Amino acid sequence: MELQKFTYDNRLSSLFLKATIFWGIVGMLVGLTIATELIWPTMTNGIQWLSFGRLRPLHTNAVIFAFVGNGMFTAIYYSTPRLLKTPMYSELLGKIHFWGWQLIIVAAAITLPLGITVSKEYAELEWPIDIVLAIVWVVFGINLIMTTVKRRVKHIYVAIWFYIATFVTVAVLHIVNSINLPVSFTKSYPVYAGIQDALVQWWYGHNAVAFFLTTPYLGLMYYFIPKAANRPIYSYKLSIIHFWALIFIYIWAGPHHLLYSALPDWAQALGVVFSIMLIAPSWGGMMNGLLTLRGAWDRVREDPVLKMFVVGVTAYGMATFEGPMLSLKSVNAISHFTDWTIAHVHIGALGWNGMLTFGMIYWLLPRLYNTKLFSIKLANAHFWLATTGMLFFAIPLYFAGFTQSLMWKEFTEEGFLKYPNFIETVTQILPMYWIRVLGGTLYISGVILLIYNAVKTIRQGSLIPEEQDEAPALELRKPNPDKGHRLLEGKPVLFTLLSLVVILIGGLVELIPMFMIKSNVPTIASVQPYTPLELEGRDIYIREGCYTCHSQMIRPFRSEVERYGDYSKAGETVYDRPFQFGSKRTGPDLAREGVKTSRNYKPDSWHYNHFMSPQKMVAESIMPPYPWIIDNVLNTSNTAGKIRAMMKLGVPYPEGFDTKALDHLQKQANQIAQGLRDGGIDVEDQKEVIALIAYIQRLGTDIHRESNKSIFSEN
Amino acid sequence: MTTENKNQYMQDDQYEIDTLTNDKLIKNHSYDGIRELDNELPPWWKWLFILTIVFAAVYLLRLWVFRADDLIQAKEFQKEMAAAGVVAANRNAGTASFELVLLEDAGSRANGKQTWEKICAVCHLADGGGLVGPNMTDNYWIHGNKLKDLWAVVENGVLEKGMISYKGQLSEKQRLEVISYILLDLHGSTPATPKEPQGELYE
Repeated sequence: MELQKFTYDNRLSSLFLKATIFWGIVGMLVGLTIATELIWPTMTNGIQWLSFGRLRPLHTNAVIFAFVGNGMFTAIYYSTPRLLKTPMYSELLGKIHFWGWQLIIVAAAITLPLGITVSKEYAELEWPIDIVLAIVWVVFGINLIMTTVKRRVKHIYVAIWFYIATFVTVAVLHIVNSINLPVSFTKSYPVYAGIQDALVQWWYGHNAVAFFLTTPYLGLMYYFIPKAANRPIYSYKLSIIHFWALIFIYIWAGPHHLLYSALPDWAQALGVVFSIMLIAPSWGGMMNGLLTLRGAWDRVREDPVLKMFVVGVTAYGMATFEGPMLSLKSVNAISHFTDWTIAHVHIGALGWNGMLTFGMIYWLLPRLYNTKLFSIKLANAHFWLATTGMLFFAIPLYFAGFTQSLMWKEFTEEGFLKYPNFIETVTQILPMYWIRVLGGTLYISGVILLIYNAVKTIRQGSLIPEEQDEAPALELRKPNPDKGHRLLEGKPVLFTLLSLVVILIGGLVELIPMFMIKSNVPTIASVQPYTPLELEGRDIYIREGCYTCHSQMIRPFRSEVERYGDYSKAGETVYDRPFQFGSKRTGPDLAREGVKTSRNYKPDSWHYNHFMSPQKMVAESIMPPYPWIIDNVLNTSNTAGKIRAMMKLGVPYPEGFDTKALDHLQKQANQIAQGLRDGGIDVEDQKEVIALIAYIQRLGTDIHRESNKSIFSEN
Repeated sequence: MTTENKNQYMQDDQYEIDTLTNDKLIKNHSYDGIRELDNELPPWWKWLFILTIVFAAVYLLRLWVFRADDLIQAKEFQKEMAAAGVVAANRNAGTASFELVLLEDAGSRANGKQTWEKICAVCHLADGGGLVGPNMTDNYWIHGNKLKDLWAVVENGVLEKGMISYKGQLSEKQRLEVISYILLDLHGSTPATPKEPQGELYE
């Protein structure tokens, strides 16, 4: 058979590799910054774009999309051509993909600190960036799928299966979750509201973990572990079963982020059971990774690459057992809203994604740059720093989460909350936050060693821009001798379509009833739309990322009802675009903050003083001050447009209310500001803080309203 | 053909042996040099998977068909609250002899101080100087300076001013302790940053 010559392009892989390292250290340093802010809340001294609420989304986005994103593309652009014996389909598409992706990251790094955000976790980017992201992702997908079409190897290997599932699913998730109605170039409202928005978001959010942090890295694992260990994959049969089971089951598990929320019981139950059924498929991947090392364990002791792979895959096994356990309602009742979740995700991020990325980088560098790794010793030191850093990060946070949760729930014999003041439960766990900073510092020191090692290696070698290879052209014999799954592996386009069908099922079964069947969101007659001032205040709440530390979802537990007031109902959220349930309670829940009879109620003047200096009101508070909210004049240039957008989305403001919105806003602002002035606070009507106070004092009050008459009617 | 013979036949045709583990390598499965073994799924793994599927089926059946109380959120909550109701009903049972008199003993006042710092200080400051809430150390009182006046404020709150009712948060004894602490210790002391007088002067 005639051999065809072709080349593999290493330039793009090495670009992606450098981007991985660069964004990795950036994302981790932002993480270290916000971890430090939690123990030193006034550290950034009122610089708004460095505040916790603005930087936390930057940290998560940078680590997920910039670090892991570039890491997965490094793996895909290096391994796919070699597995398929063909260059990538298009160098141009590859370049568009690379530079487009970096452009998106830069846009995120600028807009998120500016407070331009949708506030849906890991989907914070505003609509113009979302559109660019969708286009770049499709460019990547075309390049990937067309490469499989142009292949010279008849069957696609399991790594490619995972790459395909990644492309297909992330495209679906991103597009569906990002459908927003723009109000301006930097502001939009989701077409979904409240509990429905929450379900869409966590269907997305959970599967961002599944199909952005997991499946592409399983693909990476399936290529780089056998290559680095020079051992065969443990079980082809296991590959097949765990691949299909994983992608089919994963997509259903999103509702486990909303356990004990206002989500209907049936949907919560699906989240629970599909999470439990994920254990075996996930462990299938872990076993195929670890058992592939049989016969190479002696080398694991010496080779930092293999060592990192082993710890990475083990962390994957731990996190994928813990995840399903956290999805049991009884465990979730304790873990949710606490640092337990933070510990859990960092086992995944630092262990699974971090270690696999580092291992891959150390393996690739000498091969791309035609040299030896500059220092194996330094790589070993990195391994130890990363491993201990991870433990120092996670263990204190497990302890913190557990401790704080028990304190929230503890009652005295007389039946009162033992720790009625939230701050007591914060000061108790602050030492753990210190240790977390230490753990993060260790981990980052390891990455600094990697950077040094990489720079030295790159300097002593030189990039091999292209590698030659040869293989016979693909010949599709007829009749095709393949049967069963082997047949499918020979038809990558069919494979792609089939995986699309498989991942659509779970999402459709959960989302369609939630939108079509009215009883899933029982309406409450007294719940009414936000006033224009409250809406503007809500947008400030979103801009500042308040949801990163405050939940708005009181769960139906005695301890929460005692502390925060009546539990949250689905019907109360129908005008919340986007929903603001939050996922972490670094501070108390705010769902009923405005209810005058609730334990949490604070007068306007308290809020004013508290925004200016939380420590003045609660000496040990770890909330940062918000002086700019006090100083800024509220921008009302979009108020009418916002009301119009809401009306377009079906919010029942009276007809023509958009034209009266500003008047209404000014009247309400004057009332609040006058009240503050009467109490001796020198404040003008137009300040942002007035709007934010208006929003906060509205929170949770609607179900206590005595009359169902519209608050907008004029008589 | 017996099963054994069949395996023999397959092995010759489709497999090579991995020398390190003696497992079967599948022929023609080679991707950039990566080979695959033909190992079966480990039995414990299969059983784990089956077990979780059974768990899922039982769980969904219990909720959707048998409507088990412990899986229905609203019912679970009712049960918890009913149990709590018993506790609340017994709350003041031991204090049948409750009397509205100042508690002058050091123990009660220390307890009162604790409650003050935990709860009241958020608005009135730890030293009682007042910030959002009024100054408690001077001789000016908005709602009166008698024990029964303060009792009424703590019991019912002054909602329009942001003072909430503490009836459901503090026991009668705790309320009395903290009021005793206010009248006997805070009142007349010198706070760091006293709020300007509010209300009427009581000599």
